[in-house]
Amino acid sequence: MAQRVVKPRTNLGPGFWPVTAFIVVVSAIMAYFTLTSPWPIGLIPAGEPAPATDALFRFLGAVGAVIFNIVTIYTIYFGIVFAKAKNAGPNDIGVQIHDAPVLEFWWTAIPTILVVVLAIYSTKIWLDIQNTQGDVLTVEAISYQYGYQFRYPRLAQPVSGALHLPLNTPTTIHVTSRDVIHGFWIPEMRIKADMVPGLINTLRVTPTVAGTYPIICTEFCGVGHGAMKTTLIVQSQQDFGKWFAQQGGSQRSGGGGGGIPLASGTVDAGKMLFGQKCSACHSTGPFTQKIVGPGLGQIFNDPAHAKLVNGTDPTPQDVANIVKNGFQGDIGTMPSAQMNAISNKDIANLVAYLASLSKK
Amino acid sequence: MSVSIAKQGYSLGHGHDEDAHEQVIYQETRDMRLLGFVLFLCSDVVLFSAFIFAYIYLRTTVAPAWPPIVGGHQLPRLDTAFATVNSVVLFGSGVTMHYALENFKHAKLRGFNAFMGLTIVLGTMFLLGQGYEYAHAQIGGWSGNIFGASFFTLTGMHGFHVFAGVVYLLVLWYQASRGVYTKERYFGLTAGTLYWHFVDVIWVGLFFLFYLW
Amino acid sequence: MATLAPGVKTGPYHAVLDHIHPEPTSFIRKYIFSIDHKVIGYQYMITGGLFFLIAGLLAELIRTQLLSPSGAIVTAATYNQIYSMHGSAMVWMVIIPLVTGGFGNFVMPLQIGARDVAFPWLNLAAFWMFPVAGIILFSSFLFGAPDAGWTEYPPVSLQGPPGTSMWCVAIFLIGISSTLTGINFIVTIYKMRAPGMTLTRMPLFVWGQFGTAGLSFIATTALAGALLALFLERTFGVPFYDPKHGGSPVLWQHMFWFYSHPAVYIMILPVFGIISEVLPTFSRKPVFGYKMIAFSTVAIALLGFSVWAHHMFTSGMVPWLQLPFMIITMVIAVPTGIKIFSWMATLWGGSIHWTTPMLFATGFLITFTCGGLTGFFLAAVPLDYHEHGTYFVVAHLHYVLYGGSVMGLFAGIYYWWPKMTGRMYNEVLGYWHFWLTFIAFNGTFMPMHWLGLLGMPRRVALYDPQFQFWNVFATISSYVLAGSVLIFIYNFAMSFRNGKIAGPNPWGARTLEWMISSPPPYYNYKKIPAVLATPYDFGNPLPYIGLEAAAGAEEATPTAESHPVPTH
Repeated sequence: MAQRVVKPRTNLGPGFWPVTAFIVVVSAIMAYFTLTSPWPIGLIPAGEPAPATDALFRFLGAVGAVIFNIVTIYTIYFGIVFAKAKNAGPNDIGVQIHDAPVLEFWWTAIPTILVVVLAIYSTKIWLDIQNTQGDVLTVEAISYQYGYQFRYPRLAQPVSGALHLPLNTPTTIHVTSRDVIHGFWIPEMRIKADMVPGLINTLRVTPTVAGTYPIICTEFCGVGHGAMKTTLIVQSQQDFGKWFAQQGGSQRSGGGGGGIPLASGTVDAGKMLFGQKCSACHSTGPFTQKIVGPGLGQIFNDPAHAKLVNGTDPTPQDVANIVKNGFQGDIGTMPSAQMNAISNKDIANLVAYLASLSKK
Repeated sequence: MSVSIAKQGYSLGHGHDEDAHEQVIYQETRDMRLLGFVLFLCSDVVLFSAFIFAYIYLRTTVAPAWPPIVGGHQLPRLDTAFATVNSVVLFGSGVTMHYALENFKHAKLRGFNAFMGLTIVLGTMFLLGQGYEYAHAQIGGWSGNIFGASFFTLTGMHGFHVFAGVVYLLVLWYQASRGVYTKERYFGLTAGTLYWHFVDVIWVGLFFLFYLW
Repeated sequence: MATLAPGVKTGPYHAVLDHIHPEPTSFIRKYIFSIDHKVIGYQYMITGGLFFLIAGLLAELIRTQLLSPSGAIVTAATYNQIYSMHGSAMVWMVIIPLVTGGFGNFVMPLQIGARDVAFPWLNLAAFWMFPVAGIILFSSFLFGAPDAGWTEYPPVSLQGPPGTSMWCVAIFLIGISSTLTGINFIVTIYKMRAPGMTLTRMPLFVWGQFGTAGLSFIATTALAGALLALFLERTFGVPFYDPKHGGSPVLWQHMFWFYSHPAVYIMILPVFGIISEVLPTFSRKPVFGYKMIAFSTVAIALLGFSVWAHHMFTSGMVPWLQLPFMIITMVIAVPTGIKIFSWMATLWGGSIHWTTPMLFATGFLITFTCGGLTGFFLAAVPLDYHEHGTYFVVAHLHYVLYGGSVMGLFAGIYYWWPKMTGRMYNEVLGYWHFWLTFIAFNGTFMPMHWLGLLGMPRRVALYDPQFQFWNVFATISSYVLAGSVLIFIYNFAMSFRNGKIAGPNPWGARTLEWMISSPPPYYNYKKIPAVLATPYDFGNPLPYIGLEAAAGAEEATPTAESHPVPTH
């Protein structure tokens, strides 16, 4: 059986080392510019957690540039240098190697190590983002086809225009939707959450650069999706306070509730509603029988708890206001009536039902 | 009708005997069909798994209470006693199917016919039992809430598979009566038995998920 | 009478391969309802090619709309239908059928030395579901096509036009076809390899089909479940996904992506197989690292089942769960990288013949690597928080699907065209096609990376005017890309009439399909050859016994002493 004899290669190819040096130099330059770029994503980092995200982007960008260069430049180089020689006959063949265990070991080990390093670094940045501070201010963002509304604590009415946030204030944003899934993306802050009906997702941000930034919908939501945007206005704390006061914000808890008509509430309707909306977090037992929030069975009639959780008196109107506005406390966040899709009539029914429980 | 070219001189040392060659071919095609059928059953398991995942996800992650509260009242649980009886009927049909095949393999045709007929009757009884269950379940209907949605869809898909299985077994029984299968070559009956056991195994899962959990 | 030398490992002997069925005679049985895997392969290719042109036209409508920030040509409602159909058609009616039903059907049985697949009638049934599903899908335009993207998230898809329900039916049907083909291929590859062809002597294209078939038959029925539930909810109000009735929109995302992530591996693993055939043939040397490429194919297929939630990082999934999905997604980079480096090492030290398939395979290395790297950017959860739902994702997916799957499909078509038709194509036109593709493809999709990072969301019929320049740039590039496809069509149309006769082995390749006539006879191999080694050892004689008997006496047949040389 005839076997063609091929002289084994003794070098890696003409110009292999100059090309390798070229790859090293180009990669070093690209990595340097990536790692030192102030705005690697092209947008200013306007608050926490954007700097952490940008740091990860720089690192990944530098590594990616190196790998891209290695693959692209060597591929082009091999393609040119190992093209069939003009004087090669029809019997031309290349170097008959099947593998090179040492080389394969390194090109498995090094990417594995890179993946481990990147995974660890990504996890660290992820933890930083999860630990972004919030809660000094908490707002709710509710989306609908095709716009956003924002609810602030102690503001009776939702804000339909821009989202105003004060500078340097750790802020929690709870997002949800009234109808279909929408998106809530603030590119300059590098944060995004889907606004899913029936769910509340939470973002935390601390704006550090005053300015006006887009808030963009990033989940297809219907014909108005392309136009669905609003604005984030980051202002000094003073300017924010002025704006907030103009919206009718007041210090007294429950003050913005206004008069919710309670006379027409029915116990049976309230009982049904309680099962649907409240029973996930509240029992009808005593205060101490907590699921998430306290038991509500004795809310109007509890010697051990003379005030409601927000410090107001346990009157029907004050209870109605808590249901209307929601509540943030140590235990967690109770969504507002809007987030729960509860109307004023529903509130009246719930208050009537709770009153019937307290009578027992 | 096939033209065997094994006689034309290209041999790998397995002999020239025509019958032995036919036997090898039968065995190999049987093995292929068995593998294909098992893979098909695996893909069917994944179909059920998707809906089982949906049920578990909705029940544990989404619904505030189970059974769900609808219209202010919590829905009742399903009738476990009745379903247990119906399950015994179905599992019994699995036992009878096993014996049907065993009888056939030993050329005991009367036993085969008896057990095959019994399997089909028990399978049909299970379907009638499911019909009764559907008519009397108080869980708010198929489209009323996620309990009905998951229960009727999953058991409905299972019932559809049982119905298809009953039809399949009838066809196999008819074919056996026409002499299509011999005691050496009965792959169709093997496939039917496997399918029937698959339907039983799915029911074990569904019974646990809806009646015991 | 050829026999194997004593002591040579043969593997299982398959008597079933010895049988030749009589050739069908009627036109209908030969070309319409054929059980010949080669004819079925052509049928898939023609149907898939036609759907590619339609879906490509939809793409050009998308790009034309985006010439203007306020939307140039259609309303948002129409636009939403256009891009949803573009994506749905490309994934389910073009790429998946072409890589599995098209190339898998034509090439794989030939490469394993079989006469057909395990279940030829099932193959026929699975094929005919394809044009029916495609017709159902495209005719949804008449009733209001689906408009919520190829992912059709509820609740918005519950509101969608009637075509959304047709979409459910069409994809369900093509899913059945895909599952059946997967089962067929697994049994074929497992049970019908020629004597001596152990798993480690199989061509790498067959390994790619093997991994893909495994993904297909397991993952596809999960999608069937999701589609069925969506259909039931839309039609009968059965609540699974609508939170107003106790359902969960996130449930759809889990069920959909559990299939759709493996689906992207279904779309790429066969293409990896094509690259593994083209590169050694035109480098005239063995593919480097055969075992590692085969092993990494299986690793990618298995890992691919466990990363689906990386499409859901912003959906409100339990936060700590994001970490394992992130890490496993990153880990997939390792077997993929091994392949890329092995392919580069296949080029190294070669004697490279720069044919059109070689150009596409080499271009693939560059564009697919770019797509893989941006995938890493998306795997890192903190970056995904910024990039999800933007044009960055559109850039990534097109780099891996066009720069990956479609470029690889072009490499495969140019490579096996001579085998299928017996004719050569025009190499100059092929060069034009490649270079226009490579340049225009990058021009179209590279800008989308920074468009996304700077704030352009996806699935929008209009956009912020600051993004207009790069959108216009991308659109003009896309017109050039479309033009390159026209060159490709012209090339093959001409080749049918005027192409040079190819002969059995114009490339001097070494896998079994090149040992018989072009096109192959209906029975493929007169006698099944036996296989002694992997096919790629260009320095050695062909590792087959019984080739002259396999190829028949009419042509200059290869023998075991042959070293095939390219004749074109």
